[in-house]
Amino acid sequence: MTVFHFFNCAILTFGPHAVYYSATPLSEYDTLGTSVKAALVYLGTALVKLVCLATFLKVSDNESFDPYQEFLKALIGFIDVAGLYFALTQLTHRNISQNHKFQAVGLGWAFADSVLHRLAPLWVGARGLEFTWDYILQGLEANANLVLSISLAALGSLMWLRKNKPKTLIPIIYTCAGIVATMPSITSYLRRGLGWHFPEVVGFQLFTSLVMAFISWQLFAACQRPSA
Amino acid sequence: MAQAKPGGERQVLESMYSMIALVFILVACVELCDAATVVDVYRLIQYDISGAPFGSRLANLNHHAGSLHFAPGSDLSRTVLIIPLRELNISFVKEYITQNQPLGGLLFLLPQIFNIENRERAKSNHQTDGEELLKNDLAELEKLLIHSKIPYPVYFAFEDDDIEAVLADVKRNDATGQPATATTGGYKLVVSVPEPKKRASPTITNIQGWLSGLKTDGDANQLPTIAIVASYDTFGAAPALSVGSDSNGSGVVALLEIARLFSVLYSNPKTRGRYNLLFGLTSGGPYNYNGTHKWLRSFDQRQRESIDYAICLNSIGSWDNDLWIHVSKPPENAYIKQIFEGFSNVAEELGVKVGLKHKKINISNPRVAWEHEQFSRLRVTAATLSELSVAPELLESTGSLVDGRPLVNEAAIIKSVKLVAESLARHIYGHEGKNVQIFADNSSLAVNPSYIKSWLDLLSQTPRVAPFLSKNDPFILALKKELEDHTDEVNVQHEVLDGMFTFYDSTRASLNVYQVASVTFDLLLLLVLGSYLIVLFSFLVITTRGLDDLISLFRRPPSRKVKTA
Repeated sequence: MTVFHFFNCAILTFGPHAVYYSATPLSEYDTLGTSVKAALVYLGTALVKLVCLATFLKVSDNESFDPYQEFLKALIGFIDVAGLYFALTQLTHRNISQNHKFQAVGLGWAFADSVLHRLAPLWVGARGLEFTWDYILQGLEANANLVLSISLAALGSLMWLRKNKPKTLIPIIYTCAGIVATMPSITSYLRRGLGWHFPEVVGFQLFTSLVMAFISWQLFAACQRPSA
Repeated sequence: MAQAKPGGERQVLESMYSMIALVFILVACVELCDAATVVDVYRLIQYDISGAPFGSRLANLNHHAGSLHFAPGSDLSRTVLIIPLRELNISFVKEYITQNQPLGGLLFLLPQIFNIENRERAKSNHQTDGEELLKNDLAELEKLLIHSKIPYPVYFAFEDDDIEAVLADVKRNDATGQPATATTGGYKLVVSVPEPKKRASPTITNIQGWLSGLKTDGDANQLPTIAIVASYDTFGAAPALSVGSDSNGSGVVALLEIARLFSVLYSNPKTRGRYNLLFGLTSGGPYNYNGTHKWLRSFDQRQRESIDYAICLNSIGSWDNDLWIHVSKPPENAYIKQIFEGFSNVAEELGVKVGLKHKKINISNPRVAWEHEQFSRLRVTAATLSELSVAPELLESTGSLVDGRPLVNEAAIIKSVKLVAESLARHIYGHEGKNVQIFADNSSLAVNPSYIKSWLDLLSQTPRVAPFLSKNDPFILALKKELEDHTDEVNVQHEVLDGMFTFYDSTRASLNVYQVASVTFDLLLLLVLGSYLIVLFSFLVITTRGLDDLISLFRRPPSRKVKTA
């Protein structure tokens, strides 16, 4: 029964990535290599982030919310953006369209994040006898994270790869990218600063990820219109 | 892509609504649930008498929790009933046990006042009617459990907030009428311990201390000896909780105090009596005083004959005004008369009453109800001083769950000590019938209440079921050391408990309480997840490739055939 539960949680955590890959044209154009490369870049970024966190942050004993520390953490969080920039612009991809490139990168990015952060707790915890909602919520969080990663990748590809975008949209694009990039800090603030519980935080994440996905979709579509 | 957009947007909106709805449903379902709770539990004793099994025969537990509010007629063979003592329905338990109805297990929750590790409770000495009722219930329950063979695990635990919260949840679940089984979730109680093993040849340890009297040069004969004896081990429903503060902790405390008083007297040659004093702390008391039997057998004939008489102390910690001297020789016997008169004289001065009870020994009956009967069987004059007016049955009054520190009154022990010490001293120094107070209050020979209290507290926290006490148990060493302080010569005798009784180990364990989800829930979750993924797949295919593509996905095999054709 508990292995069953683990199976369920694993489906929820990693299923959407697979579904996204197989359902969208990504699979038709065989962009797996790009995703794998993005995942590797994610690993490198995570390592750099880890080193930075260890260097610049004090270890706090209590779970209280310290604005200065959180600000530092948010700054370090922007290393992610740098990693994404590298993945989007510097990696030599096979000749795939921008459309598919950002999706592949976002997907690889989110999948690597899920594997790195959620697989081990899931394996250890969800097979135990004790039932908690935590692992289901964690799976939902992984879904939100997938949507956010793809949105961020989309916005990034708009910023760095697309040259002829409407001038009026540029500030909006940058604001949105900023919001998406600071999302980890925002959730951390909600959890520790406002004392939200895990279910509420996950609900918020799901909601904002959908909103951000919708906005970035619209932006992407708006930028594509003149070229189309 | 551009053509598919308007349709796609509507799809996005629709799916977003459904997603948001899903999120809200999930958030609404979520209660913050506590992690696994761990509770200390004490297992019902498991033992055999001459091969006949008694007590709880299993230790491993892995079943769902249920309460007394279970739906009538439901199958409880895979359910652990949690029964708080406050709600105990003894006839229900009796019915279940005597009719051998299947149960997954039993967990009794005892109020904190019975917790031996709870040092606070000694302070609240006043007893309410409710407590009195609880004690009666518990005593009855214990008797029932000890004398039945129960084919499932039975555990005792103490009430605390964690387990109470679990119980409240279980009750709420039971009130809905669904039995707690694998299909409905709930709580799972897990005790994982190895299979209980037989205690191979349990040892019993007797400790004796000699205080030798003054021997004048002309005396060729051996000095007569007076023995003071108390058995210190216990037997109760839960071996790890059987402290027996009254039976027979009170006797042990009194014996130690008497030894201390006489050691003061005997340390000065001027006040050294012309009697040897023999102090015996015997084990095996609940098992027909097997230890006393072995101990007496180990004496040689001369030594045994030198014993003038023996006073056995048994359960003298909770009486008000009446004590009994139990003897097995007829009251007309000169020695008995002498002992009784000595005691009743002192008792009169102390303002208490001492009665004499005569019970003949039936040599063919293996049952030895009083410790002095072991002496009498070897023709040594002996008497037992006890607050009990009738002989207890086998395994009765030997340290039950009820018999804890609050039951015992220190004042009663002090009075008993005075009674025994004073009458012994008058006999030793030949002051019989005279009104001299040797152990008067406020003198240097006064009974020390704090000594009694500290030993009583120690005994009330130390489970002393003989088969589970090792030879070098710290408690036995402490008793030995205490006697060494008060007497000239201390001997420790290790014997093997005679064959009739067999005991099994694993007396205490940790109970893990898990909140578990049911299989149905997991199946449902799988269904929801499956449909979520399918919806996501269709949604993504439609938005990125269009509806036709999705339909063609399912038509592909026939279309391929057409192509090949």
